[in-house]
Amino acid sequence: MAKPLERVMDALDLETCLVCASEEEGRRLMIQLARELGFQDVDIVFIQFQGPGVRVRARAYVHRSGSVYGWLKPPHAGEVEA
Amino acid sequence: MKPQKVLLVPLDPVHDVGLKMIRRALQEAGHQTVLLPPDLTVEEVVHQVLKESPDTVLVSRTVGYGVAEILARLVDLLDAVGARERVRLAVGGMAIRPELAAELGFDAGFGPGTTVEEAVAFVEGRPYQREAGRQEKIKRDLTAGYSYEYRHQGIKEKLSLISDMILAWAENKTSPGVQRAILREEMWDVERWRNYEPVTEFFNEYAGLCGEPVRTFYLKGIFPPKTRRFTREEVAALEDYVRRTRERMIVPRLQHTREKPLVFNQYGTGCPFMDIGHIKVSEAWGADGVIHFDPSWGARVEGLFDGFLTHEEDGTLITPANLNRIKMSLEPGTLWQVRAHRGLNTPETVVLAGKLGADLTKINICYGSLGGGTDPARMTIDGYWAIRFAARYNLPFDVVTNEELCGVPAYKAFAGMLITVDLALRLGGRPILQPLFCYSPEVMVGGQMEDNYVEYNAAKILALRQIIDAPVWPGAPIGFLTHTEDRVQSSATTAFHACAAAMLDVDAITIASSDEAYSGGPISAPAKIDTLRAVREGFRFFGRLKLPVTPKMERWSEEIVAGIEKVLARVVERGDFVAALYEGLLGSREDGAYPGRNGRGTVFEA
Repeated sequence: MAKPLERVMDALDLETCLVCASEEEGRRLMIQLARELGFQDVDIVFIQFQGPGVRVRARAYVHRSGSVYGWLKPPHAGEVEA
Repeated sequence: MKPQKVLLVPLDPVHDVGLKMIRRALQEAGHQTVLLPPDLTVEEVVHQVLKESPDTVLVSRTVGYGVAEILARLVDLLDAVGARERVRLAVGGMAIRPELAAELGFDAGFGPGTTVEEAVAFVEGRPYQREAGRQEKIKRDLTAGYSYEYRHQGIKEKLSLISDMILAWAENKTSPGVQRAILREEMWDVERWRNYEPVTEFFNEYAGLCGEPVRTFYLKGIFPPKTRRFTREEVAALEDYVRRTRERMIVPRLQHTREKPLVFNQYGTGCPFMDIGHIKVSEAWGADGVIHFDPSWGARVEGLFDGFLTHEEDGTLITPANLNRIKMSLEPGTLWQVRAHRGLNTPETVVLAGKLGADLTKINICYGSLGGGTDPARMTIDGYWAIRFAARYNLPFDVVTNEELCGVPAYKAFAGMLITVDLALRLGGRPILQPLFCYSPEVMVGGQMEDNYVEYNAAKILALRQIIDAPVWPGAPIGFLTHTEDRVQSSATTAFHACAAAMLDVDAITIASSDEAYSGGPISAPAKIDTLRAVREGFRFFGRLKLPVTPKMERWSEEIVAGIEKVLARVVERGDFVAALYEGLLGSREDGAYPGRNGRGTVFEA
């Protein structure tokens, strides 16, 4: 089976609303969440704190320019591509 | 096929609009339809199925609450009375997904976004070709239908005098950039290159006209930092990827009922492979054209590299192989612009773009000199030759005015743009006006956009149309300095600017991705999709509506026109275009424009 992550063209964004008391806390929680999901190359693209918490979008780059792209591998029977 | 009898069942308290639309299409196709009233019980529906004996039953269910239970019960009851196997059964609605429908025992499930044609295809038992008939785009010439006649006599006369000055100044001058362009034009045969035949004579002379690090690359084979050649395996994989993607490619139109504006976006990740990935995404989500974005340092280096090269930072190297591979990956209807406009390789880039089949390029002497970092004298001679080559290769080009972003007021930037436009017309070129749609330093300080972003941008278009009958392509990208890192806001502001441009009937626009304001990493493919989708929605919303002219638009456009004429008068009075650039008549240090220094002292007598 192909790994779905290899089919991410470049970056994977994680978006949510986190309940927290400040933007700083929201940022920390989101980075921690992304790392717990296994992503190392993580950045916060957008964060906005209002009373209940943060609207936040984190980004993990899976393929950066010049790297070897998993999505260029030809698909085989039974893999992600039908 | 034999006409079908179709029972249309709104298994829902009130909603039956979708089924009514399908009923009309089925009737037009010659089928017999029976539309039941909404809010029947499942038992009543089954009774109607037995009574009508239809070939097909189309159920709609918009309300999501309890959907699985109700639909499962319907299938069970139809089974129990022996009717299920006699009919083809499908369900559609906002809460429906194909997987859910299959799980519940339906033959098909139609979720949000389903078209009437898709439902008709199901009834007729034929495969549905999504957006069939809308897959072909034909390349359009943005300059077609424009006379380039001036509507403002005073400005026309001044521009003519300035063009005379530039032509006289350029007559006996050249530069390393011009020499490389002429060499590329005369000795680099694209057909021989495509056939892998050596072009040794060209390279023998070419390396001597290059600066560092390009010369080192040719003489010693040393690559610039973070750059490498692709392997054979990588190239084969790319070719396979492009072929597979092409087979299933659909290229939708964004403009809804409008003919224009055409929508362009930029690519330039540093890696031609990733660029091609991004280009295919842009095409699939409706972009009409794509723009090659080269590294900013490429404009400061004398000479172009060679080979199929990937680079790990923003901007994709201009090499014959990189451009050629990108060109080969494009859909037949996609317009391709290779920017030449601002650096030490401007004329050679135009030659290469022309030989490799680009549709458009980009040139502006004043922006290149005042905002692009190139020495004004060098940019003038290189720009002059770039225009000549653009005319020779029949490449229309936009005349960008990004010096506005440095702080140069619109009227001065436009005076510079019109100088390049007039020179181009004298040299047989086909220029396209490119005013910025932006929240520029000028309006931040002057307050013209305190209430809205529309009127001042519209005033720019009105002003240019008072001066000349020429195509207009706001850029680049529209909405510059209004984007934030929030992808919703960023997509929305792009769509709003796109709609304003459309309602002003411009010919094309360049849009950003929703990553425009994000500086932490490369632009991502989903960010390109965000804005293309937003623009499409905006065009659908406004249709063919036009923007009414307001008193503010009129006043500001008159002020811009008067300002342009005043600037041109000062250049004429100065009697020397290049000196006018150095001295700030077209954008001063006080405005935020600085005459560039790259290539200073490299213009000499031919």
